[in-house]
Amino acid sequence: MSEQLPGRILNAKSGAISAGGTAPVARARVRTQSRAQVARLRFLRNLPVILLYAYLIVMVIFALFPMYYVIQASLAGDQNLYATSLQLFPVNPTFSNYVYAFTREPVFNWLLNTTFVCLLSTAIGILFSITGAYALSRFRFRGREASLSLLLALQAFPGLLAITAYYYLLEYLNLLNTAPLVGLALIYAAGSLVFGTWNMKGYFDTIPVDLEQAAMIDGATMQQAFWRVTLPLATPALAASALFMFVGSYTEFALANFVLNANSNGSNLTFILGLNALQGTYTTPWGYFAATSVIISIPLMALFLYARRFFQSGLTVGGVKG
Amino acid sequence: MLQVKRRTIFFYLLPIIVMILLINMTPILYTLFLSFTNNTEFNESYNFVGLANYIHLIFTSDSDLYYVLALTILYVIVCVALFVLVGMVTALALNHRLVKGSAIWMSLLLVPWAAPSAITALIWKFLFNYDFGPINEIGRVFFGAKFGIPWLTNPVAAFIAVVIVNVWLSYPFFTVVMLGALQSVPKEMGEAASVDGANAWQTFWQVTFPQLRPAVTPITILSAITTFQMFTTVYLITAGGPITDPARPGATTFVMIYMYNQVLGASAANIHYAQIAAFAITVFIILGALTFLARALGARRSEAPV
Repeated sequence: MSEQLPGRILNAKSGAISAGGTAPVARARVRTQSRAQVARLRFLRNLPVILLYAYLIVMVIFALFPMYYVIQASLAGDQNLYATSLQLFPVNPTFSNYVYAFTREPVFNWLLNTTFVCLLSTAIGILFSITGAYALSRFRFRGREASLSLLLALQAFPGLLAITAYYYLLEYLNLLNTAPLVGLALIYAAGSLVFGTWNMKGYFDTIPVDLEQAAMIDGATMQQAFWRVTLPLATPALAASALFMFVGSYTEFALANFVLNANSNGSNLTFILGLNALQGTYTTPWGYFAATSVIISIPLMALFLYARRFFQSGLTVGGVKG
Repeated sequence: MLQVKRRTIFFYLLPIIVMILLINMTPILYTLFLSFTNNTEFNESYNFVGLANYIHLIFTSDSDLYYVLALTILYVIVCVALFVLVGMVTALALNHRLVKGSAIWMSLLLVPWAAPSAITALIWKFLFNYDFGPINEIGRVFFGAKFGIPWLTNPVAAFIAVVIVNVWLSYPFFTVVMLGALQSVPKEMGEAASVDGANAWQTFWQVTFPQLRPAVTPITILSAITTFQMFTTVYLITAGGPITDPARPGATTFVMIYMYNQVLGASAANIHYAQIAAFAITVFIILGALTFLARALGARRSEAPV
């Protein structure tokens, strides 16, 4: 099936190219050659183009196939997914899997739990990293260089290596049984704090300190200068950092799996744990799994598309605006 | 630079100091401390045993350290080589003068990069399913009804499967970086080389590739480090399995997965926290050395929370 589509595109393309370039010369030769020979010559001349496009089409199929397959599987109802022959198009498209996911599975609970963890961890991470980054960028104090090196060293340490210690820490803070989601958010926030601080500090460094000094000469306090002048200018970096923090927490698996114990219907889990649990047993409900993974991906992809405009200015140095 | 009171500086730094001391530093220091004790799940004591755990880890013949490290390094080498190869071929194809609309191709090829990787890992596990997965179903179209690759139960196939997924996830990044570098290579250089009689292969190796190297080196080191500590994607697909020899970890048990399974695994009867801590510190030292090397070569590590 996929063999025919590239062929058609290529013929159109290569026809246009050969007609444009060498037409007069070729036409002179055509009289002395048979039609088959001309076709063969034209094919050989266009072979590089054909191979290039064939390669690109294979790569695009490779890139998009998993998403395509899951979307069509989510629409395919339930029965035909248990066939062992290939189904690439849903024969009778139906939303029954989505209805099931929303009514029988605790998808709304997962959404609430995950959103809660992500918002809390992003809020803590952003608030703490902007004050810390501002101090590291604007103030000079003993131990400043050492703190920056320490942050870099911390960044090299994958939190996963200390997973037992995190468990004990949450137990010690009495969060493990009372509010495990708050505990998760705290650890995610601390994990993203290092990146956030470095990113924000780099951006603050590019905003001239003269702006704040001017504001302070005009009568603003230092606090006002920070919150009203510098911070609004740092919006792109703020948005990029927040997005990274949010997305990082959205699908974190290792620690959440360690800390959260599923209750009877799994309504206290985060998205990714719930989705993983769907696949756990011998009789995986593929249709429900597909529908749920589409539901989970949509908010994140939407967020990504919305926030893309912040990326270029937010993660590169040198973005003084205004 | 602003001149402010000491109290103000302290006030601004307090939140981040508390957070880093409590949540970032304490677990690391606790793990370091643990690695010098004999703490297990059952004895719950913290007797100082010096370097005994490290000696056990490094010098015992049945230690899993070398097996897991060798497996991880093999995975890193295979993956990173494929990232560079596939990324470069794709970038060269997109940069070819006969290929039109490279921006559209690029945005299609970038989809795996933007998708949430934990979810796509579970989707890939679905695709690799022996009976109902579409990959084996496509195989049955061509090779008859009995065809089937045991993707998740055969050790070699499982290793190949997690390589495929990682290549799928990561090569777009390489393509983007290399395409950017290729587009900054002046076309005249290649033309000059071919006027001087170089063939396409020579032109590539002598002219184009040296221009790519400054862009490729840092991202290669960067992705070697991230692949070395890869956890979620591989764990969600294979959970470190399949296990063929009960005395050894499974065929996709890379360092992070090994640690996780040691702590959480159902097979562990009496979890030896101290030895796991020693393993963690050893891995951290290796990672630290790699990161130091990367920074010396001018790469910047990207961030994954926790």
